[in-house]
Amino acid sequence: MNRRGKFLLGGGVIVAALAYMIYAGVSQSVVYFVTPSELRAQPVAGKAYRLGGMVQPGSLKWEPRSLDLSFTLSDGKAAVPVRHKGTPPDLFAEGRGAVVEGTWTSDGYFKASLIMAKHSEEYKAPQGAESQAGYKELLRTLKGQPGNP
Amino acid sequence: MTPEIGYALTAVALALALYGAGAAAIGARRGHPALIQSSQHAALGVFVLIAAAMLLLVYAFLTFDFSVRYVAMNTNRGTPFYYRITALWGALEGSIILWSWMLSLYTLLVILRYRTRQPEFYPWVLSVMLGILAFFLLVMTIPAPPFQRLTPIPPDGRGLNPLLEDTGMITHPVALYLGFTGFTVPFAFAMAALITGRIGDEWLTATRRWTIVAWYFLSLGLLIGGWWSYHVLGWGGYWAWDPVENAAFMPWLTGTAFLHSVMIQERRRILKLWNLTLIILTFGLTIFGTFLTRSGILSSVHSFTQGAIGAFFLGFIALVLLGAFGLVAARGDRLKAQGELDSILSRESAFLLNNLFLVAAAFTVFFGTVFPLLSEAVRGVKVSVGAPFFNLVNIPIFLALIFLMGVGPLIAWRRASRENLRRNFLWPVAVGVAAAAVFRLLGVANALALLCFGLVVFVTATILMDFYRATRAKLLSGERLLPAMGGLVIRQNRRYGGFVVHLGILVIALGVFGSNAWSIQTETTLGRGEAFQIGGYHVRFDGLAASEESNHFKVTGTFTVANNGHRLAVMYPAKKFYPQEQTPIAYVDYLMGLREDLYLVLGDFARDGSQATIKVQVNRMVTLIWIGGLILTLGAALAVLPDRKKA
Amino acid sequence: MAARPVWESHAEVGSDASERGLGPRNPPGGGIGRGAKPPSEGIWRWGKWAIPLAVVPLLILLAYGFRTDPRAIPSPLVGRAAAPFSITLFSGGSLSLDELKGKVVVVNFWASWCYPACYEEAPGLERGWRAYRDRGVVVVGVDIQDTEEAARKFMRQFSLTFPNGPDPAGRISVDYGVYGVPETFFIDRSGRIRKKHVGAVTEAVFTGEVERLLKEPS
Repeated sequence: MNRRGKFLLGGGVIVAALAYMIYAGVSQSVVYFVTPSELRAQPVAGKAYRLGGMVQPGSLKWEPRSLDLSFTLSDGKAAVPVRHKGTPPDLFAEGRGAVVEGTWTSDGYFKASLIMAKHSEEYKAPQGAESQAGYKELLRTLKGQPGNP
Repeated sequence: MTPEIGYALTAVALALALYGAGAAAIGARRGHPALIQSSQHAALGVFVLIAAAMLLLVYAFLTFDFSVRYVAMNTNRGTPFYYRITALWGALEGSIILWSWMLSLYTLLVILRYRTRQPEFYPWVLSVMLGILAFFLLVMTIPAPPFQRLTPIPPDGRGLNPLLEDTGMITHPVALYLGFTGFTVPFAFAMAALITGRIGDEWLTATRRWTIVAWYFLSLGLLIGGWWSYHVLGWGGYWAWDPVENAAFMPWLTGTAFLHSVMIQERRRILKLWNLTLIILTFGLTIFGTFLTRSGILSSVHSFTQGAIGAFFLGFIALVLLGAFGLVAARGDRLKAQGELDSILSRESAFLLNNLFLVAAAFTVFFGTVFPLLSEAVRGVKVSVGAPFFNLVNIPIFLALIFLMGVGPLIAWRRASRENLRRNFLWPVAVGVAAAAVFRLLGVANALALLCFGLVVFVTATILMDFYRATRAKLLSGERLLPAMGGLVIRQNRRYGGFVVHLGILVIALGVFGSNAWSIQTETTLGRGEAFQIGGYHVRFDGLAASEESNHFKVTGTFTVANNGHRLAVMYPAKKFYPQEQTPIAYVDYLMGLREDLYLVLGDFARDGSQATIKVQVNRMVTLIWIGGLILTLGAALAVLPDRKKA
Repeated sequence: MAARPVWESHAEVGSDASERGLGPRNPPGGGIGRGAKPPSEGIWRWGKWAIPLAVVPLLILLAYGFRTDPRAIPSPLVGRAAAPFSITLFSGGSLSLDELKGKVVVVNFWASWCYPACYEEAPGLERGWRAYRDRGVVVVGVDIQDTEEAARKFMRQFSLTFPNGPDPAGRISVDYGVYGVPETFFIDRSGRIRKKHVGAVTEAVFTGEVERLLKEPS
């Protein structure tokens, strides 16, 4: 084989290896976006999903000690129970939009590894009752606490 | 009046830029020096007008002129003085002004430097740069005018995005844009070379130092971005493979490839087409990066959501890529190589491999970034690929690049003899393998980290050995140690500057691999007075306090940290509540150390201050990334000094 | 990226030194056919245009990106019967969706703190309501997660006259799968949701959708 052939072969091998890595990478880490009704229609346990919906009022439970968080996401048609371990993000609350990433378990709930509350510069998720007045109140209750820096 | 004056300034600048671009091109074609002269004046005028528009906007910010929509959107009366100036580039419209101003500054510098030196290229370079400038001015006039009037004038503005109230976020865009716009200079020279048909090495040698400057600022921008992400965003990491981060990383990768392949063309007269392709890609990617972040076609944490502007950028990208590659194709007959590759074991092929891997990395990042779009277009399925994809594919590529970093600078040109290989690589390889073995014995079990460490030691050894040999040769010829070393570095500043940059990259690599392998984190809820242990640290929650700041409320937690029984520090992670924002902003507190950082983020808390949830991370070796950035700065400064060898 | 090994695309070693001078003797695009050429260049002659052509699919993909909004959340409710609701209006009295059967209904979810999107769309919604109210179109504003005081101030600021009311328990928002504000639902005369719009509604979208629904036979 001549020199040019060798270079072509070498380059070809490297490019093929890269192509394979990309293919393998995508098939391993691809996450599907679904709505609660789509997930309900075709739940596949163990598959990675990104699930978007609204947190149903009355469904949110958080236990600070154990960090167990559970709630129900709904899109108006179907609802999916979600469980997570950790602190809910700041924007997260009942009646607001949220996107969770995780897997559907065969025990009939969605196990979330990541919770994202919708937030962007111009399109904002609903704000809770915590407003200016709320902060003032907070300021008052925390004044005179030990541990003031 | 401010909005109207500002708008007039940008409109006149646009007209001048268009005129200048045309005048320079016609002047070059017909050989009218007067037209080129006139174009220079136009360029100067554009620079002055954009500077004036920028100052006017700063003035509007300082005086709270809420009749300007952009000011009302990005400040309020509580915004501190300092941030009122930097709010200039806090959002889309203002950052376009900053971008154009930098581009006009680069144009001015090109005029000053090349007015008399490159008579063939110069007018075309001027024309291309003014043409690009005209595009940005067009964006400022039609889809994203920074001087839009707001009626009725609101009593107070909305306020700056609180995440941007940080020194990192102030300097990050400046460095990044200096890098992005800097690549316009080599791109314009490449276009000039294609248009005039003088596709030799002149355009490369003329732009070598410009490329280094652009590359350096881009690197700096990326590093500061990581710093900001780490210290402000409070998620505990410095890089998330977010589309916006990727957008800045892709031109960095191709720009790095360009920086290296240029050397082969200078030396061996091959890779002409490749170098043109790389600089076109790099420039195209800087525009694409802006397009990604500003058009809102991909969702991202940082993206500005604007619709119409995307169409402008897309049109411009199409024009740049089709025009530039069309020129390349038209000039195909002149892109003949004047040399050829002799052996796989040679510096050329080491550099070529380096290029291949860098471009492959850029392609991977590109693919992962647009994959969601592709999937939706082709299969109609909404998907995303996240950090796992990018890590999986890029880690082997980066390890290979580190390896080549050791091989490339030392292996012989053309064909490396067995003797050359033995002489240059026997010891470094031995040292690298030995180091990996020692780390293994010291208890490093992570295979990836071991491989990375071994490679880093290998590359460091090659650099030290090269420096040692060169110094020894000087000593033998009678020079004293320090003058010999100094003289070497100054006289061969390009080579040793490159080596120092490589050392910086190695230190960064150590930080990246180390932090990924050994960082630990946990989340827990503590009652007042309660404590817990992590990585040898004893963290006790002492209480919460609230305070009122100029433009926000702040709830601060107090945590006492001890290590091995002795008190280390009291830490105050906090949450800041901005009235204009829906979410509180985490204020991270950290203890920075060479070996590890202790990183505290306040999460939820009980209203009465009796209980708080915190996220605690022990991030190992992250500081090395910032140190590597400093080393890189030194190296780039050295490399960009004028070449002493030829002078 | 080029498919062929670009560093070796020419076996022949040539020189470009003959071309010196200021002006381009070969204008861009016109320089292909000039000069003597070895016969082997036939493939290259066309093959070289592969590079610029390779850019085209990429541009198409990006252009496609505009047609889709990554923030748009597909709603399973489109095409289904709108969930019935009734709200207590800020102006007094109450309104239920059932009363509006046979009319085209535009339900807009908003909040006073949603700046600037809700502020941008409010004047347009009001104009739309005034223009179409006599033709059987009703705009209903549902104010979510807001204080009454702030909401009234918002309505005064834009002189809103279409029916508006709060959604105290978030019931309506949940039934409509609202993600954030503003979101707008277009309901046809037979009471089915026909379109969900996320973000500020422009007057063009409003008019286009309402006209379309009005043209349909009830």
